[in-house]
Amino acid sequence: MSAAASSRTQMSARSALCALAFTVCLPLAAEAQATFVVESPTMRAGEMMPRDYSPDGRNVSPPLAWRGLPDGTRQIAVICQDHGAGNPPPWVHWIIYNIPGSATGLPEGIPFDESRPMPPGLEGAVQGANGWGMPMYRGPAPPGTSLHHYHFAVFALDAELDLPPGLTRDELLEAIDGHVIGLGSMTPHYRRHPENQEIDP
Amino acid sequence: MSDKPIDRRAISRRDLLKTAGAAGAAALIPGAAGAKEAPASVADTAAVRAGPAAAAAAPAGPLMNLTAAETELLSAMVDRLIPSDDMGPGALEAGALRYIDRALSEAESDSVEAYRIGLAALDRYARYSRGAPFLELSDEDKDSVLIDVQLGGATGAGVGFVGSSGAFFNMVKSHTWQGVFGDPMYGGNIDFIGWDLIGYPGARMRVSEQDQRELEAGQLPPARRSAYDYGQFQLIRGEED
Repeated sequence: MSAAASSRTQMSARSALCALAFTVCLPLAAEAQATFVVESPTMRAGEMMPRDYSPDGRNVSPPLAWRGLPDGTRQIAVICQDHGAGNPPPWVHWIIYNIPGSATGLPEGIPFDESRPMPPGLEGAVQGANGWGMPMYRGPAPPGTSLHHYHFAVFALDAELDLPPGLTRDELLEAIDGHVIGLGSMTPHYRRHPENQEIDP
Repeated sequence: MSDKPIDRRAISRRDLLKTAGAAGAAALIPGAAGAKEAPASVADTAAVRAGPAAAAAAPAGPLMNLTAAETELLSAMVDRLIPSDDMGPGALEAGALRYIDRALSEAESDSVEAYRIGLAALDRYARYSRGAPFLELSDEDKDSVLIDVQLGGATGAGVGFVGSSGAFFNMVKSHTWQGVFGDPMYGGNIDFIGWDLIGYPGARMRVSEQDQRELEAGQLPPARRSAYDYGQFQLIRGEED
């Protein structure tokens, strides 16, 4: 994609995310031209997340894969958020960015310890501050037995931004504003089952 | 997890040290946070008279208020809060366990049951979520479990936390900090490990201009004295007793 064409398809990061928020049940807005596929080898959109991605299990970050990135993608950013929680919503579970544009996804279990290196192919990637203010993935634990939807939004960016670690969602969206040339998402859900809570210590 | 932001990150030692200084300094002042837990037993009075070195030399031994299994769990948790690493000795070496035990015998005696319930729930949560007892987990998995406990993610797991799991975490963390960064007279901060860790130069009754210059240059030698080594505070303590 040429630079001129790229600039025509750039969209505001906020409007892109707003558009993605509605993809839970509605088609992506028409102006969001460059979309790509986001999937996971262990999760499916509209289905329950495995408990290992929640504090009912190991609480590791889930693997993601994407394909069909627009030409000119130089970097990728990912936000996982729950639009049914937070005051105001959304509640942010995970932010990771500075992901090289050559990456085709994220493996399971991105380190929560900042001193540990990123997996091969993700050099330079850093994590932002989630809703608890911690630069790591922390999975869903919706209250009671309520069902919540977890929106994994993936942004294709036209620049290598070299952003500092620890950005909040708002700070990241502001930083990537004007650089988003494509986006994709998937939205699985999770609920804590009472039967899961019966344990034999 | 509960959608409630926290303003503290307790696992990372590096992060801990960013905020530990204030807690340590407050504990120096009789009547402040650290002094609240001041034990008032005959043995403690003797420790005041003998100075912190005598208190630090007391054997750790089994804890008075927890079972051996509970002590092992608490020890493992405290060890992950401030581990021994290349920055120096950690919470266990600083005597945090003994500090907590002494506090549970006296000023914090109302918390003994909270410790028992919380430690049992911690171990059940480790088995439930990670498939193994807390003591058998790797350090990384222990940290992950403790983060979930801290953030309240263990609350809804049905493992027996009373209220938020974060309340239990914060209680233990608070007592651990007091035991590491408080005045050695209270049974922790052995050999001034906590103060050395954060570069606190120690309690002084007087700071000269030269001291101030050295302090600002980071060259002030540590005093290595308990506040209760000074007659002024011994007098105050004697009046409290």
